[in-house]
Formats: sequence, C-alpha cells, structure tokens
Amino acid sequence: MNVHVARSGPAKRLRADDGIAKGEQLLVVDNISLAFGGVKAITDISFDIAKGEIRAIIGPNGAGKTSMLNVINGFYHPQQGTITFRGQTRRRMRPHEAVAQGIARTFQNVALFHGMTTLDNIMTGRSVFMHQPLWWQAIWSGPALEEEIEHREAVEEIIDFLEIEHIRKTPVGSLPYGLQKRVELGRALAAEPALLLLDEPMAGMNLEEKEDMSRFILDVNQQYGTTIALIEHDMGVVMDLSDRVVVLDYGCKIGDGTPDEVRANQDVIDAYLGVPRD
Amino acid sequence: MLYRTAGQFKTSYKADHALFPVRQDAVLLWIIVFLAVVVFPLTASEFTFQALLIPVLIYSLAALGLNILTGYAGQLSLGTAAFMGVGAYATYKLITIFPEMNLLAAILLSGFFSAAVGAAFGLPSLRIKGFYLAIATLAAQFFLVWLFEKWAWLYNYNASGAIQVPNIDFFGIRVAGPTAKSIVQYYFVLGVVALMTALSINLTRGRIGRIWKAVRDMDIAAELVGINLMKAKLLAFAVSSYICGVAGALFVFLWRGAAEPNLFDIPLSFRILFIAIIGGLGSVMGNFLGALLIVALPVVINTIPDALGLDIGAAPLEHINTMIVGGLIIFFLIVEPLGLARLWQIIREKFIIWPFPH
Repeated sequence: MNVHVARSGPAKRLRADDGIAKGEQLLVVDNISLAFGGVKAITDISFDIAKGEIRAIIGPNGAGKTSMLNVINGFYHPQQGTITFRGQTRRRMRPHEAVAQGIARTFQNVALFHGMTTLDNIMTGRSVFMHQPLWWQAIWSGPALEEEIEHREAVEEIIDFLEIEHIRKTPVGSLPYGLQKRVELGRALAAEPALLLLDEPMAGMNLEEKEDMSRFILDVNQQYGTTIALIEHDMGVVMDLSDRVVVLDYGCKIGDGTPDEVRANQDVIDAYLGVPRD
Repeated sequence: MLYRTAGQFKTSYKADHALFPVRQDAVLLWIIVFLAVVVFPLTASEFTFQALLIPVLIYSLAALGLNILTGYAGQLSLGTAAFMGVGAYATYKLITIFPEMNLLAAILLSGFFSAAVGAAFGLPSLRIKGFYLAIATLAAQFFLVWLFEKWAWLYNYNASGAIQVPNIDFFGIRVAGPTAKSIVQYYFVLGVVALMTALSINLTRGRIGRIWKAVRDMDIAAELVGINLMKAKLLAFAVSSYICGVAGALFVFLWRGAAEPNLFDIPLSFRILFIAIIGGLGSVMGNFLGALLIVALPVVINTIPDALGLDIGAAPLEHINTMIVGGLIIFFLIVEPLGLARLWQIIREKFIIWPFPH
C-alpha cells in the first residue's frame, strides 16, 4: 500500500506569526518557585529564551530540569513567579492551552500512543488545528474529509522531513527506540510550535542515532525557525548545538550564558561538569 | 492467493483514507451485505429471526457502544445495560406521549437522553481511571435500575411495573408490537445497526477516533499534545451511551416486546462487556464476531442434537452448551488475548505475505 503523491507545494503553515523578531525574547521565566509539599523542586529561577535560538537546560539528575519544562508547558503550576510567552503573561494554564499557544514537547521516556500507527501519531499532533464537528466526522465527507486530507499533507511533509516514510503505517509499538524518538519529534512538530521543548531527545541512543537526531534538531531550528529548549546530558551535543545554556542544580540556577561561558564557570564545573582530564 | 495488496496503488490521500484501501475487503463487505439483505431474510425461519439474527445485531450494536468507550477511549464501564435501559424507557415515553411520532425518530432521539445520562455518569472519569472507574460506573447500574423500578411515571403507572410495547407502524408497515412480522423487524434493526456502525467507523478513524485512542494509550501525553482530556472523555461517554441507548431501544421495541427493570441489570452489562472483550477491544468488526460467539453459538449448539436425532434432554444440553461456549471463550482468549478481530487481522496479514512466513 504505497502512497506516492506529487505535491503541488509546501503545506500551509497554520500558526500565525507573532511579530517577535529573531533574537528578541520569546519566553521569559521570572522568579519561578515550585514545591511539592516540603520538597522544593525549583527555587526562584529566572531566565529567558530568545526567538530562533537553541537553549539548553543542563544540570545533574534531580536538578529540576524536567520540572522546569513541565512548568513552561503548563503541566505544573508554580507557587510563585510568572511565565511570559509571546508577550502574554500567565499564571495558570492547562497543557492543552499551552499547545494551542505554540508550545510543544517531547518526553524523556518515549510517550507515543502505542496502539496507533506512525501516521496516526503525527496526525494526533495536528489535533490543535482540527475543529470539524462530530457530525461531519461521522459521515466522513465534506469539511471533515477536506480537513483530514489537508492535514495529511502537512503530516506527510513532516514524515518526509524526518525520513520516516517507510514506517508510515507501522504501529509505533513495534518500532525500534531511535525511530520512536523520531516519531515523537514528528508529533511535536505537527503542532507547528513556536517553542519546542525537547526532554533528553538523545537519551539511550547510539552515536549514529545521536548524530541523526542532532541534525534533525538543527534542521528544525533552521528550516522552520522553531525556537528550541533542550535538556540533554551529552555535553558534546549540548555545547555544539546550543546557542545559550542555563545550568540548574538542586532547583537553583547556577549558570547561564554561551557554552564557552558556562564551561568556564567554576560553580558549574563543581556541580556538574567536573574537571576535564588531560 | 486471492488476498493480495500488490498492484493496488494509491494516487491520492483521499484514496489512501478510503474505508477499504484493499479491494478484497470491499468485495468481502459486499458479500456480507448480500447475505444480510437478501440471503438470510429469504431463508430464515421465524425462530432464526427471533433467536439468531435480530439479537446478534442488537447485541453487536450494544457492544459497539461499549467498545467506543472502553476499546477506543480506554474508559472502563460496567453501566452499559443501564444506559441501554435509558434508551428503552426514553423511547417508551416518547412513543406514549407522542403516539404520532415516527419510531425511528423516537429511537434516534432517545439516544440523546442516554447520552446525557452517560456523560453525567462519566464525570468521575475526569478524576479516576481503570478499575476504580469501573466501580464508579456501577453506580449508574444500580441507581438507574432502581429508578426504572421506583419511578412509576417511566412505565406509565402500569400495575405490572413493566413496559409493554404497543403496536407501532412505520410508514404503514407494522414494525413493533405483538403483531409485527419478524422479517420487517429484522430489516428495521439491520438498517439502524448498519447506520450506527457506519457512523462509528467514520468517527473512530478520524480526528475524534485518534483523540480517543491517544487518551487510551497515554493520557498525559495526550494532554501535552493539545487534547482537552475532559472534552475527549465526556464525548466518549456521550457517544458510547448514545449507541447503547439506541441498542437498548431496539432491544425492547424490536426484539423483547416488553421490559422489566431487572432486564437491564448487571448480567446484561457483563454479557456485553464479554462480547466486546472477546470480539476485540478497539475494533468495530470485533463486536459482531463477539456477538456471534456469545449470542448465536449457544442457540446453534442447542439445535444440533435435534438435527442429529439425539435425545439428550433439555437440562444436560443446557450444561453441555455452557461448557462448550465457556471452553471456546477460554480457547480464543488464550490463542489471541486481543480478541477475534485481531485474529482476523493476523489471518489477513498471513494471506498477504503467503506463501512466505515474513
């Protein structure tokens, strides 16, 4: 059941431009504190993410990196502080609203929908743009069918981009780990995010898979202009990919700056990087 | 072999999104339609209509309703029979309050009552899942059956406490009531079931189906890709209950002819759950296969000794029957825990790659 379709042009991008110029602040995290009962996960952290950059968040295990991402996309609600995304400050927000605003993410552990095919998984990522009501869906014609095909074209573009054409109709549960990670990236891209949060996209990969994934991250950043926030433990990857790095330790920010600045920061060396062996 | 996908190329996404991307499947469907519309009605006896064809269709529809909720959206429910009851009682009230009303319209309308009740009892799903949700839906089961019994207005203050289906004409043809012909009832049920099945297939393969499956497979990830969990779950409860309600209305009006409250008690819920599980959760076709196994097979087995001229006696036959059907259920669940529909899918895949194993 091969599908060969000559496309007339690139699929339409649906997300409206926000008018923020490249290099200006896209997201500002201001004095965020998050605690679970007595456990302080994040203490008074502020940083910003500029439009168009790749921003890495690093730190030892338990430093609060994933919690930070969860705060950014509305899954956790911080006790203090504000998040300003695209000029809008918010306090409480449900994750699906964050997606609608243009924040998408991938997960540390692969969180695909295992009962669905690759195609359906990425199509699910388009849900934010699909609104045809139940009755059109039920008769499978008219606007609902048009919508389905329009989004299928956009999804096929992502499938082409990530070079996963051959597994389009394969249930994701049976895919190898590296491909699952790629499908997950595809699902996040389907929402056409302005800000893409990647939680350890290269964990558990071999060198070749890491190289592939790094290339995809750079391509996403350059081709779609997507701003990326990246959590990763592979320092080689982090230092090569990212424009700026923020370092967390025990829920506090201990460093922030370009890779070179961070690498020279004594606090960061003590807490996380260690002394290089010559 | 006959079943091959080689050479069937798609040149548009529309063709790729077709209901049957493989031509042989469409042919198979037409054969089934031909059997259901022409062959069965022409050959069936009164007994076959009443004991096999009509109940299998109605049970399949009820299981389809449950399957939408449990198989697609992943929300376990034990309240199916109660939601069927809401459909049946709503139809009864509609028909008796507005005697002029078209039966089909009444049945389709009654589904909305059931959908509303289902969505209300689906509210706990926003906080709890799995077995705990199943227990919460038991509340619907107990409460609604109690209501059917105690709220005399529902059965028009009948002394018996039961609802009796009056004679109802559908465009001049008697479809329900004591004097209705089985073949007419069969066609009516077939039409409604076919309509509901077609709509359900479309729902489950489009955006809404994907949202449900996403909620089922990983609800946190579903929320983080932009799905409103509350809407998705309540919609699943509403659609599921709508279908169950319609099935319940058919159950009483086109098959049983009368209903007491305890008809909608928990054994019926379990029976429908078994059909859905054995047929295959997350499959539309599985419901029909499951209903064939659980509803039709015992009836067929019952007729075998007579046909062979054996004299076993009613009671032993009943026990043997239970043993055979129970054994088959265990057998199928061991062979394929994901249900008969999955078994059929594996057979298809084998056919496609035949004669090679991979």
